[in-house]
Amino acid sequence: MSNQVGIDVGGTYTDAVFIQDGHIQNTAKVPTRSENIVETLMEAFETLSIVEESSIDQIVVSTTLVTNAILQDRIPPVELLLFSGNGMRVDALPWPVGYRELSGEIDFRGREIAPPDQREWEKLLQTIGLRENPAHVAIVGKFSHRNNLHEEQLANYLRQNNSSLRLALGHEWGQANFYRRSLTTYLNLGVSELYQQFALDLQAAVTARKIEAPIFILKADGGSLPLAKIRPIDSIYSGPAASVLAALTQNEPAVSSIIVDIGGTTTDIGLVLSGVPLLSSKGAQIGPFSTLVRSLAVRSIPVGGDSVIHATDQGFSLESYRLGPAYCLGGNVPTPTDAMRYLGLIDYGNEQLAAEGLASVLPQEQRTPKFLNELATAVLDTVVDRIVEAVDSLKREWEEEPAYKVWEVLHPHESQAFHTLVSGGGARGISMALGKRLGTPVQLGYLSEISNALGAAMARATFDCTLHLDTYMKQYSVEETGEQGKWTGSLRPYLEVEGFLDALAQQQAARSGIKIQDVEKEPFDFFPIVQGYKTVGQIVRGAVHQRPGVIGRVSV
Amino acid sequence: MKRTGILFFPAFDWSLGDSHPEREERLLYTQEQLFEEGVLDLPQIKQFSPRVASLHEVLRAQALLPTPWSQTDSLDAHLIAAGSAILLGEARVRGEIGNGFVLARPPGHHSGATVWGNRGFCTLNNEAILVNHLRAQLGIKKIAIVDTDVHHGDGTQDIFYHDPNVLFISLHQDGRTLYPGTGFVNEKGGPNAWDQTLNIPLPPGTGDEGYQYVLEEWVLPRLRAFAPDLIINSAGQDNHFTDPLASMNLSAGGYGRITELLQPDLAVLEGGYSIEGALPYVNLAILLALAGEDYHHVREPQKPERPVLSLAPLKPYIQGLKQQHQTIKPNFTIQNKAYFPRGNWIYIPHSVYYDTEGFQESRHDYIRQCDHCAGTVYIESQRLSSLQKSSLVRIPFQACSECEQAGYDLWDHLLRHSEDMTSGLLQNQLHDKFFVWQRKEGLTQF
Repeated sequence: MSNQVGIDVGGTYTDAVFIQDGHIQNTAKVPTRSENIVETLMEAFETLSIVEESSIDQIVVSTTLVTNAILQDRIPPVELLLFSGNGMRVDALPWPVGYRELSGEIDFRGREIAPPDQREWEKLLQTIGLRENPAHVAIVGKFSHRNNLHEEQLANYLRQNNSSLRLALGHEWGQANFYRRSLTTYLNLGVSELYQQFALDLQAAVTARKIEAPIFILKADGGSLPLAKIRPIDSIYSGPAASVLAALTQNEPAVSSIIVDIGGTTTDIGLVLSGVPLLSSKGAQIGPFSTLVRSLAVRSIPVGGDSVIHATDQGFSLESYRLGPAYCLGGNVPTPTDAMRYLGLIDYGNEQLAAEGLASVLPQEQRTPKFLNELATAVLDTVVDRIVEAVDSLKREWEEEPAYKVWEVLHPHESQAFHTLVSGGGARGISMALGKRLGTPVQLGYLSEISNALGAAMARATFDCTLHLDTYMKQYSVEETGEQGKWTGSLRPYLEVEGFLDALAQQQAARSGIKIQDVEKEPFDFFPIVQGYKTVGQIVRGAVHQRPGVIGRVSV
Repeated sequence: MKRTGILFFPAFDWSLGDSHPEREERLLYTQEQLFEEGVLDLPQIKQFSPRVASLHEVLRAQALLPTPWSQTDSLDAHLIAAGSAILLGEARVRGEIGNGFVLARPPGHHSGATVWGNRGFCTLNNEAILVNHLRAQLGIKKIAIVDTDVHHGDGTQDIFYHDPNVLFISLHQDGRTLYPGTGFVNEKGGPNAWDQTLNIPLPPGTGDEGYQYVLEEWVLPRLRAFAPDLIINSAGQDNHFTDPLASMNLSAGGYGRITELLQPDLAVLEGGYSIEGALPYVNLAILLALAGEDYHHVREPQKPERPVLSLAPLKPYIQGLKQQHQTIKPNFTIQNKAYFPRGNWIYIPHSVYYDTEGFQESRHDYIRQCDHCAGTVYIESQRLSSLQKSSLVRIPFQACSECEQAGYDLWDHLLRHSEDMTSGLLQNQLHDKFFVWQRKEGLTQF
């Protein structure tokens, strides 16, 4: 027996689902009270009315808590201190927040090029009042992911002067990109207190119900991590990820599909390749912040069942906003939903009103069934056009992923036979036209109204451990955790490095509180380091992944 | 916004040998530097992914001898570098980008009109394959190539030596002091393309100032006079003061300045083997300069140790060189063989050394003198110490009807009376058709 609860906190509604052995038992939908997300969550939970709550094995929550705090600019100020070194001007890129540059430089091998200047640090303490205040300070160095020396030195110095400072160090985001690493460190520190409070409250509320099941939070990459282990910033954009996962629970494993979730004003589009959702090649962008957060490649386009249709000289235009419900459902403006109703593609809404609404777009003399029919078809074609455009752009992102090896170029992505899975309010009305345009079979998703909760409930933990080893510098680092350590093995390791990475991965998984079973190993890249025609060491890159996915299929 | 394209193909799984300068590690630190700087996040930068060039595209510029299929086993990485150049060049011509940087390995500028193997780390000439593709497929007429690699771009020179529509300028460390030992001011182009090749050999020790002086005094005016549709920079990085193979004194900033002055439509990486001390910084400076960003903060950690040649002695040297260049007049030998089609054929014999495998190629080039077009080119090439001998017949772009016919007649003769030939290529640039003939296999079209 395995019992899962999934809850998705959306902008307007919070959805919940209870699944027992792959069968959906109960669902619930309650309005979201964004000022108190924990209460909303518990209300949704309550509404599920699960008979034996103590039998729940796992609760997975997808929440907009962090996303909204960032987009609504509700994060406390963070002092951002940069060891920016030489290179591209720091201000060549747009910085949505202020920063201070300090001297000190590290190079791409992690060697110290120039030491920091302590006098600058002393001045810093005085000028920005870091001596007493319990301020937030993010310290990020260029190439700190290769050597965190300067970050640690400054952190120690600041801690000695003011133990109440909340510090965050950039090297914990171990991927390259100083700019994104800086902003990611900044944001994660900025939202940490808000998130910690939420985690405490939620755990307390669940414990109060005598539920011992662990709580997981859904991440942007479609994986889940224990409530206490996740880095808060990783929880952004879990909603769109959940809708892709929901589709996976209804798919045959290992098929390739285009996922289309048509909402009232927004349509989310994702791509699944041989059963694995496509990850974005760049980190997530949230508001003005470019981050290193791994996320699924999802396109959200401002078109949906409630998008407004306007009369124009050329006929009509499909707007990107909503003005209440569709005309046929008692609203004031015609929408694609009216077109669907008029054409008999959906069975809800008033047929007469649908015709009336559409007629308002046409000139008086054209308000006949023939023209109404043409108009309704053209409206749906326009919706389909927008969706297909986004699908194409997503496919291009996949096909045009940069390749850095001969092998990769000679073995390009095979073109796949896709099928399309459509869910959401407008799914039924658009599926035929969409299937025709995409030239793929179309399947309707079920339980559209709670699909994100379903995706959350069935999310599998994702796991990545990417090793960068420099045997000459005797240093290794791990991208995902920023861990840096001394290498004591040989200068040219071969099998040795495999065992090393396996052990690292096991440690890291244990520390994150997740189990890894279905791990995929990338082949290692070996770069001989040559000095004066002599090989003096190697740089080795390797990685293991547990790709995003679901723990099983689900039926109603 | 003027966009800058980048095609980064470091070929992380390819090398010419474990400790060879052209090895996996070469662009590793460049990748670290570019990615860490966040250059790809600049809104004006667009990244492209590589593609493989076809043999058809290669044969448009170069004859693979004795036959294309005898070489294809080792061509993969080279075909990707050439394909990458084509891809970015197309994006430039179509206006998708304002300029671009093909940051790919392996390099190509030592690879000439006839290819028996790898020389100077090059097998295929990326720029030449690109240039001829743009002329054949995208209607580009006049292209200038400025080679700023420290070595003479002898391969590129060889391919375009008789082509009046391609201006080839090479700045390099004097051939008396460095591989490949060519590139002197008297190499000014073939009979139909006189003065369309410009070689500027520079004394060892030339630095940022010296380079800028030569560009402003000599290169830029020549470029302006030619008024090309497109400028391509063969951006070798071995003029850097840390380069282990050469003796020049450019800095990363100096490379940024060269890029700023040349304003190339496309920069294509060539050599440069100071993979830690120079490449990460030089590549960054070039890319920033192309993208219109400030490159003055790009600073390599090392300081020059070699003595920099100051401007005072360099100026008169360059002026003298320029005068010498102007006084050189064409002096060609006519040699008409019995079976040659009507006209005067200029004979230019020379030999080419393949350092990677250590063998010599003997070349006999014949060019049909023509006032109307680039002229038919007929090359007999022999790989010495082997019995293999091959021919290249080139009917040039925009060939006049007489030169076109001359090409067919020569090819016809080759097919009928070529007892001593192993193979041949009919490089019909005019109609974009390429035929390979081989004694055993017969004719194959590419």
